[in-house]
Amino acid sequence: MKKLITLILAAVMALSLAAYGSAPAAADQQTISLTLWGAEEDQALLARLVEKFKAQYPDQTFDIQIGVESESTAKDTVLTDIEAAADVYAFANDQLNDLVAAGALLNLSGDVSAVLPNFVGKTLDEILAENGEGSVTACKSGENVYAFPMSGGNNYFLYYDSSKISAEQAQSFDTLLDAAKAAGGKVGMTYASGWYNASFFLGAGFVADMKDDGTTYIDWNGTSATGYTGVDVAKGMSDIAVHPAFLAVADGDLSNQIASGAVCAVISGTWDAGACQTAFGDGYAATKLPTFTCGGDQVQMSCFSGFKLMGVNAYSKNSGWAVLLAQFLTNEESQAARFAERQLAPTNLKAAADDAVSSNIAIAASAAQDVFGSVQNVGGKYWDPTATFGQMVATGELNGKDDAAIQAALDTLVEGVCAPVE
Amino acid sequence: MGGKPQAYPRLRRRPDNIATILCQFFADFGKAMAKGDLFVKLTLIWWGAGCLRRKQYAKALILTLLEAGVIWFTCGFAMAYVPKFATLGTVQAQQVFNMQTMQSEWNDYDNSFMILLFSLFSFVVWAAALVLCMKSVIGAYRLQFDSQNGLHINSFREDLQEYLDQKFHITLLSLPVLGIVIFTLIPILLLILVAFTNYDQQHMPPTNLFRWVGLTNFATLFGGGITSTFGYAFWRILGWTLVWSFFATLTNYFGGILMSLLINSKLTRGGKLWRTLLVVTIAVPQFVSLLLMRNFFANTGIMNTLCERIGLTAALRSAGLISTSYIPFLSAPGWAHVMIILINIWVGVPYQMLIATGVLMNLPSDQLESARMDGANPFQIFRAITMPYMLQVTGPALVTDFVKNFNNFNVIYLLTQGVYVTTNQLMANSQAKEVDLLVTWLFTLTQDYYNYKMASVIGIMVFVVCAVFTLIGFNFMLRGDKEGTYQ
Repeated sequence: MKKLITLILAAVMALSLAAYGSAPAAADQQTISLTLWGAEEDQALLARLVEKFKAQYPDQTFDIQIGVESESTAKDTVLTDIEAAADVYAFANDQLNDLVAAGALLNLSGDVSAVLPNFVGKTLDEILAENGEGSVTACKSGENVYAFPMSGGNNYFLYYDSSKISAEQAQSFDTLLDAAKAAGGKVGMTYASGWYNASFFLGAGFVADMKDDGTTYIDWNGTSATGYTGVDVAKGMSDIAVHPAFLAVADGDLSNQIASGAVCAVISGTWDAGACQTAFGDGYAATKLPTFTCGGDQVQMSCFSGFKLMGVNAYSKNSGWAVLLAQFLTNEESQAARFAERQLAPTNLKAAADDAVSSNIAIAASAAQDVFGSVQNVGGKYWDPTATFGQMVATGELNGKDDAAIQAALDTLVEGVCAPVE
Repeated sequence: MGGKPQAYPRLRRRPDNIATILCQFFADFGKAMAKGDLFVKLTLIWWGAGCLRRKQYAKALILTLLEAGVIWFTCGFAMAYVPKFATLGTVQAQQVFNMQTMQSEWNDYDNSFMILLFSLFSFVVWAAALVLCMKSVIGAYRLQFDSQNGLHINSFREDLQEYLDQKFHITLLSLPVLGIVIFTLIPILLLILVAFTNYDQQHMPPTNLFRWVGLTNFATLFGGGITSTFGYAFWRILGWTLVWSFFATLTNYFGGILMSLLINSKLTRGGKLWRTLLVVTIAVPQFVSLLLMRNFFANTGIMNTLCERIGLTAALRSAGLISTSYIPFLSAPGWAHVMIILINIWVGVPYQMLIATGVLMNLPSDQLESARMDGANPFQIFRAITMPYMLQVTGPALVTDFVKNFNNFNVIYLLTQGVYVTTNQLMANSQAKEVDLLVTWLFTLTQDYYNYKMASVIGIMVFVVCAVFTLIGFNFMLRGDKEGTYQ
């Protein structure tokens, strides 16, 4: 009995010594576990890119899990439980402000930016400078950078059927509508959405911005920097809306209208490229947004530039490696691979200069329109009031001849949008 | 003391309402503390003391373990959260990046929501512990009384037997009650508490802290503030919710009765066929029917195309009833209100018809015969005999239906989502629509705007209104001896 106990004690001592002895060596080789979220269509692409990333750092062991999360709903899922969300996730740039306010994005301009020169050989500013200016602005909140730009072309422009409408006629909304009427078709646009109808106001020189305290600021009821009044813009919108060839489409219904053949020109984005190609056939063409009549002049319509970004969760444990992964998934090779597979416009300037990219009609139109666009930076209170205003103009409830009513409506609109959050 | 041992004194009849039960409980506790011996008083501190004195060792052990569990819970878990309950956390989250390990390091920050939730949970556990403690004292006194009067004291096995026999209802109900407390009561209490904080998009844990704000949110809802439009929206939405509940319930109720009378009438042929067809519509999920109806009546839907072809749209436009090139079935205020009620009739009547058929089958036929012989026409029979009978039987169901329609999220949301944009700017400024119910408004505030505090306040209002209507309705319906009145 005594011998048995001695034997067991000796074995236990030996095991513990061995474990202690090997512990320091094992600490170097800790597995770095990361979770990554991407769109469902991107899963195969992301798996390949992640393997390439792992190959770049052969002396580290990674455990990278890839999950499915659409970029348009990333904010909702992340904000449900930030600490449990993925370490690296893709999201649409209009969610940036909400995510930063909730503290869900890591400040890349902070201490963590030191990993980039160490491992990638470039500073954060150099990495960002490889991308288009608009996309870099979209990644910033205040002076700090919160994400890497991944893909662009999330704005809107004009698709038209070139067999019914010539390129010249597509330059101005008035000629566009007349041409459509002559050809027996309609021009479709969503008025009842603050995302689309901002194009009129922003084009006329008004602003839509966010203040530091999280409230939105718009000046659409006054006079713009280029001298147009809000009433001028609203009248221009109303003239378009009452034209018999104009079809005010409900938000999200554009794809249906294109597919049904009701429209021969439509204002939409790259997501409808396929549908337009099918509907317009050989006449498929796209260009920047037209000009509209505002205060007697032809004013170019602006747009909200949209991008998809890749950010790092502020509550990520292995934040250094997460930043490196996010940077890798948005560098030139990755963006080129993403375009090749999914036709998503790259923000990287070298990748975008590629012939294949510039020959894509929709992306070319999107890029042409982006010159006139501005990055979306508005708060939560912006959407409902602007949608209502657009609907009022589209249904004709706001009479285009009644200046006083228009001014009153604009005043209420601005009051609602700029209200403090309560 | 001679004679037969007395039974433990109890009330003559079993208590039948909450107030009496509570009074009995506290009276027992008072008596136990007043007349109990040292061990009964000791049970207040050590729950197993009373049982130990009367040699119920197993029960003493169980109670001691439970007490130890509660104390361990308090020290290990509750103390981390309850002290911060008054402030809901003061330590902001801060992070430092460590270049050596390539990891982020966090301070010990407070999470306001966790503090709220776990404090509430601790309060519930402590309340349960208090009740258990008081029950132990009462039980200890009962044992003392029994042993002093020579009555039998249960052994552990006999106690278990009692829980399977006379007290089986307690055994059976313990798990469901536990489930209700954890999954229903605690979440409801939590959300009520959120209504008194400023938990919204600007104050989202874990990065931001929120705090108590008292009744500020209620003031906002009822019209306080200069630019606040919540008050404007609240009364209008409440009005529409009441109107909707009233009409939806009434139209479905009478629609069901009339449909049932029609199908079961002797003059109708193929009654079974009609009934089967109507029942089949119940089998189709409501979700699917409503979404299809929405596309049907959309601005560019089939119905509008038809109306345009037959010239109805042009006629209405020249009559000045509409100002657009389509009929705004589901996208203009007045039209949408009426259409929603009509579509709801289509969706809800078959179900009400089945219920009405079942009830009408029991209508005393001798009354109908005598009425017919007296020369009453069908309408008089309906008004004097059928309707009172229906109301008497299904009265309570009518009240319940009203309250259910008050919160009928599906019909409103599925029929208007995506097609209805309000043109009332003041409503838009509070993220509301004219066709919203309180509950759909609540959903929009939570889902799209993370405005949890206002959503909680609206939720409480919904509860208050529903409770008021339920109490009034049931009191009205069940007052008096209805059977006699009916006869």
